[in-house]
Amino acid sequence: MSSVFTLSQAAKEEILLKELSALTEHHRENCEPYARILAANGYRNATSVEGLPWLPVRLFKNLELKSIPDDEVYKVLTSSGTTGGEVSKIYLDKAAAAEQTRKLGATVQSVLGPKRLPMILVDTKAMLKDRKSFSARGAGVLGMSNFGRNHVWALDNEGHVDVEALKGFLEQYGKEPFLIFGFTYLVWLHLYEVALDNGLDLSNGILIHSGGWKKLVDQAVSPEEFRKRLAAVGLTQVHNYYGMIEQIGTIFLEGASGGSLYCPDFADVVIRDPETWAEQPVGKPGLIEVISTLPTSYPGHVLLTEDLGVVHGVDDGDWPGKRFSVLGRLPRAEARGCSDTYREAA
Amino acid sequence: MIQYRFGAEGDLTAPSDDRLTVGDPRVIDFLAKLARKLLTPAVARRHPELGSLGFFLRPAELNRTVAHLQRDDAIVFPRGNVFHIPPANVDTIFVYSWALSALAGNHNVVRISERSATAADTILTALNEVLAEADPVIGRTQRMITYGRDDKVTAALSNWADLRVIWGGDSAVEAIRKHPLRPSARDLTFPDRTSWAALSAAGWRAAEPARRREAVLGFTNDSYWFDQAACSSPRTVFLVGENTDDVREEFIELLLQTVGQRGWEIDAAMAVEKRVNAYGLAATGAVSAMTFPANSVTAMSLNTVPDAPRRWIGAGAFPFAEVGSLLELVPAMNRQDQTFSHFGFGRDELREFALALGGRGVDRIVPFGSALTFGSIWDGYDLPREFTRLTTLVE
Repeated sequence: MSSVFTLSQAAKEEILLKELSALTEHHRENCEPYARILAANGYRNATSVEGLPWLPVRLFKNLELKSIPDDEVYKVLTSSGTTGGEVSKIYLDKAAAAEQTRKLGATVQSVLGPKRLPMILVDTKAMLKDRKSFSARGAGVLGMSNFGRNHVWALDNEGHVDVEALKGFLEQYGKEPFLIFGFTYLVWLHLYEVALDNGLDLSNGILIHSGGWKKLVDQAVSPEEFRKRLAAVGLTQVHNYYGMIEQIGTIFLEGASGGSLYCPDFADVVIRDPETWAEQPVGKPGLIEVISTLPTSYPGHVLLTEDLGVVHGVDDGDWPGKRFSVLGRLPRAEARGCSDTYREAA
Repeated sequence: MIQYRFGAEGDLTAPSDDRLTVGDPRVIDFLAKLARKLLTPAVARRHPELGSLGFFLRPAELNRTVAHLQRDDAIVFPRGNVFHIPPANVDTIFVYSWALSALAGNHNVVRISERSATAADTILTALNEVLAEADPVIGRTQRMITYGRDDKVTAALSNWADLRVIWGGDSAVEAIRKHPLRPSARDLTFPDRTSWAALSAAGWRAAEPARRREAVLGFTNDSYWFDQAACSSPRTVFLVGENTDDVREEFIELLLQTVGQRGWEIDAAMAVEKRVNAYGLAATGAVSAMTFPANSVTAMSLNTVPDAPRRWIGAGAFPFAEVGSLLELVPAMNRQDQTFSHFGFGRDELREFALALGGRGVDRIVPFGSALTFGSIWDGYDLPREFTRLTTLVE
């Protein structure tokens, strides 16, 4: 099976340092705001991946950052943020759009194989029509649906589980490998319980899921518990992933044995100490910086997220490179001053 | 749902037969007892900001304010009914606003935010303790309440008030103004403000090291107390003089030390917030350089004076700009600007600056360390006068 999880950390860093340094220069030449940031920061060059200049991911909500002329903009991706209705704007040209689709495909094929598999989407078709939630959730589902065929929606238009559709799908395709995709909490709320209650056989399924653990943590379901319970309904091939619209096409995928996310060959993470901003050693939590060669049309190749994470090990897991977990989100800083305070104004 | 925090419960807008005078002895007695409670070491240790409040409410201070109100050409009376809407998070403003209005003899209703902090609770406890032994007229005429999103209550109190005092910035003013006042009533508004600091390079260089430290300590309190988000907290620091790099360097060095010693903590979320804002200012070309010597201090070099940001950019975020003289700042100042803290200038220099501003911007020019010190002249208003009305009598 061809894989994008092949490079040892040392080999990867050598390649990434070269490619990302070149990409940094490319953006510096083609994106004036980015060039100004580097100048103000006194950046000259990097001698390590850790030394590459990062941007806070939230900048894409406040600024228009792109390294292509207006007439080459092929697609503008937007993500609604969780706070204050701010929206990230990501500009892609044709080449970047094609490359991100290709690389996302190569990443999921590392666990699915080269052939498109019959696919269960743990979501509702109605969601695609809801313009407001479309950008985030819909784009994720649509993007992933390309990697399957003979799709079935697990939820009907009212958001109830369509047990008959699932039974029909399993009858037809359940004896061979099939793909299941959905947001983590939907999988937990709808697929797991229904499979348990109706004795559905999901043992040939390969689950790819994402979307944050907050809703599950609220119900006291840990990632370990999630895997354990799914295994109880036969679903043992489970891959969580971490990714964001600001680095579209790059996902950090959970390995077969679970518990850790891995970086594809064209991407990496650096966990930073939120006090010194230096890279944390293995085992020490910090802020997650995501690195990818895919953002060529906008300067999103080195981004500091507001997610907390920890590297568990290097070159010692299911795949080579760093393996890590996402631990949660940094709270948003709020002022306690005299303006900006009367949000509950009557 | 109205929660009564202070004073008599019941209809807030019912007509009252109680009459207070300007400088009513029963009010002065009440405020003096409150001051004593706030100045006890136990309270002052926990909430140092309540110490300044206690100082402000001392009888001598109150009597001075009352004396200042008297005039030969008119008789001074309370304005009437005053409805106060203080900010949620600067937890002492409501007392200043209310106390000056009570001193002027008004019937007051103060809306205390649901999100008010612990210092507010401490004050309310003290207020209620004093109330227990005070003249009952205080409880009947002075009320503090908390209520959630309830337009009906806001509308009723707006219709009751002769004066409505709106703190909390532009959005608060806009939201509250949707509720009409009676034709004879008016608003006293405290919109969004920006505040600055200026450092004379010559004054700095001439000052003894101890004076410099003291200045930085004052500046640190001004800046970090309310996460640099109070309307009077300085944001941009203007370095006045020539070749001021040495002054800036030493200032930042002392700032880092002082913030460390005082134990002001800047968490990771705030550090990220500051990075986002600093990078944003760099991206738009407002700043030409930025340094992050520690999470507590972000320093930026502004390209030009008008590039100075007027919005909050995080706790411990300081744009710097060099100018030849204070007068060079005059064109950049506007109505939004409130407090201008200074160090190292001569009296004439400051006066010349104030006169050149001509009231078109900047309401307070105060030394480092006094930016947050509340005064009865605030935002360009003589508050005690705003809380009174005048009757002329020609014989």
